[in-house]
Amino acid sequence: MNTNSNLYTIVYSTILVVVVAGVLAFVSMALKPKQQENIALEKMQNILNAAALGEDAAQLKSNKAAYIKGLYAEHITNSYILNIEGKVIDGEAFDVDLKAQYNIMKAIGNAKDDATAQALKSKLQLPVFVCTIDSMDLNIFPCYGAGLWGPIWGYLSVEDDFATLHGAIFDHKSETPGLGAEIAKPKFYSQFAGKKLEKEGKFHSIDIVKGGGQVENSNGVDAVSGATITSRSLQETMAAWFAEYMPYINLKREAVEAENSPCCCGSDTTGVCTNSCQAETSHATSSPIK
Amino acid sequence: MQDYINLFVKSIFVDNMVFAFFLGMCSFLAVSKSVKTATGLGIAVVFVLAVTLPINYLLNRYILAPGALVWLNPEYATLDLSFLSFIVFIAVIAAFVQIVEMVVEKYSPTLYSSLGIFLPLIAVNCAVLGGSLFMQERGYANVGEAFTFGLGSGFGWMLAIVTMAAIREKLSYSNVPKPLKGLGISFIITGLMGIAFMSFMGIKL
Amino acid sequence: MNKDIYRKPIFTANPITVLVLGICSALAVTVQLKGACVMALSVTLVTGFSSMIVSMLRNTIPNRIRIIVQLLIVALFVILIDQFLKAYAYDVSKQLSVYIGLIITNCIIMGRIEAFALGNKPIPSLIDGLANGFGYGMILVFIAFIRELLGSGTLFGYQIIPQSWYVANGGFYENNGLMILPPMALILVGCIIWIQRSVQKDLQEK
Repeated sequence: MNTNSNLYTIVYSTILVVVVAGVLAFVSMALKPKQQENIALEKMQNILNAAALGEDAAQLKSNKAAYIKGLYAEHITNSYILNIEGKVIDGEAFDVDLKAQYNIMKAIGNAKDDATAQALKSKLQLPVFVCTIDSMDLNIFPCYGAGLWGPIWGYLSVEDDFATLHGAIFDHKSETPGLGAEIAKPKFYSQFAGKKLEKEGKFHSIDIVKGGGQVENSNGVDAVSGATITSRSLQETMAAWFAEYMPYINLKREAVEAENSPCCCGSDTTGVCTNSCQAETSHATSSPIK
Repeated sequence: MQDYINLFVKSIFVDNMVFAFFLGMCSFLAVSKSVKTATGLGIAVVFVLAVTLPINYLLNRYILAPGALVWLNPEYATLDLSFLSFIVFIAVIAAFVQIVEMVVEKYSPTLYSSLGIFLPLIAVNCAVLGGSLFMQERGYANVGEAFTFGLGSGFGWMLAIVTMAAIREKLSYSNVPKPLKGLGISFIITGLMGIAFMSFMGIKL
Repeated sequence: MNKDIYRKPIFTANPITVLVLGICSALAVTVQLKGACVMALSVTLVTGFSSMIVSMLRNTIPNRIRIIVQLLIVALFVILIDQFLKAYAYDVSKQLSVYIGLIITNCIIMGRIEAFALGNKPIPSLIDGLANGFGYGMILVFIAFIRELLGSGTLFGYQIIPQSWYVANGGFYENNGLMILPPMALILVGCIIWIQRSVQKDLQEK
């Protein structure tokens, strides 16, 4: 047979492409659920880790997935999406694409005039997860940004006074192993527990400073040595995201104060109180997780 | 505009294909014996990267990425063809290289004799496929960014191979230990150049 | 059977240190032993099986589209490996990121297909591919061993250097940060070539 004729070449390549595409489509379909489960599991574990839960999962040899899912169902009691004003909007917080939100934030920074910036801001979806441990509610805030080589992201859990950090977890795509990659190690992120969100009454993100972490420095965390750019990017990322979370945190703080004073949810004497009540009722109806 | 300049400079110096990611090492070591041939291959790589990256960007954006086919029919929002991206990218690169080779051969025999011999080498140059894969992974915002990144990485690769060739030309006059001659010393020099290029990392862009 | 088929690629014609093939995609994954092992295994499998398939089809492939057909077969195996890693070894697949995809352009694979599989029967082609992949993987794992041990004090993520040795704990030892930086992989390959060519003098260049 003449293997160099045009007809043969065309028929041959068509058959080959169809066979290859068929095999790939089949394998991809068969493995898809497993791959998506891996991604969801990693996210669940990140969220749990931020509240210092589920860190023992790595030692489990079998049923790691079931263990994490169980913990998640038990502790993550609620989750909702906030808009820029700190109000709850519809949607499933677990499915929010952090990267898309990061791109919106970047676009806001580059916006030419206020109108476009405002339009972009109204598109932001900020997910928050509520984690209940021994009747204390922790709020878990994600953040996402650019590191030295690729994306970095993290989850910070804030205690119910909305001023103290309970824990944090960070991860990265491709930071230098041994340097920038150390942000994902317990040695680094465990320092965040007990730090204050604010400094001298003003919102102040967590300072990542070299030689930080002394008792008097309630905001300082020891930076990863040799990874100045990753540390700095992480600090900027957290600052950017917490700037967006601040309206919500302020609302919540006022609600905490209001709870301690006679004015409480239900009475609509102040707008603030009503706002937080709306938040309470609307997220009570939304299902916590899928 | 500033974004593009930043990306361009960053992809030449900071994210250099050779020194930071080891991409295109095979031809980098094989063709860096004289500055003239190195420049020829360098130009070919710049050209191929700068053209295939925007093409692959559009393919990724409108066909391959999860939910990319929405423009055809809103029902396709859940469709994810990203498992095909390796094949599509490499096919685009190979096809493009083939076409360029044929066009150059037909219309400019002088250019073909100086550049043409390098073109088949490029289809299997990891720097070209690597460029497309990095573009997909980093999720550049538009075609312009993809093009800038392609152009920048191409120039970064060319810079690396031309400087390497210049060093190797001088090196042939030096007294290198026999077992290290040729390949061995080239590896070590590439490593040292990589360390030098790491100093660009601190630049805030 | 001719023993040279599997002996040569491992020692006298090692793809990395002698033939200079396939350095592109792989050195970046030698920071940690785990990634290097998975990469070595993936490359070995892809080289072996794509050589075998191409060898089976060798009399039917139209010459004009030969390269594209070969790339397609290689890409098929690479995508299969990528999909399986994503499903069953998610951590490793995250760490290897784009470098799994870059196996497609790994020159060893195309090199072996062109040089061996197109002219030989399927079984010898499979062995030739596997042996070349192994010779390549061996160097990868060796470099990763040195880099992880000296750079992070660990092997496969387990601490090997005793904690009490470290300066932070009052000892005398400090991890060599240079080892985890990309350029060190190149310098190590240079050193391996140096050692190999000191022993096998016939490989030296003039």
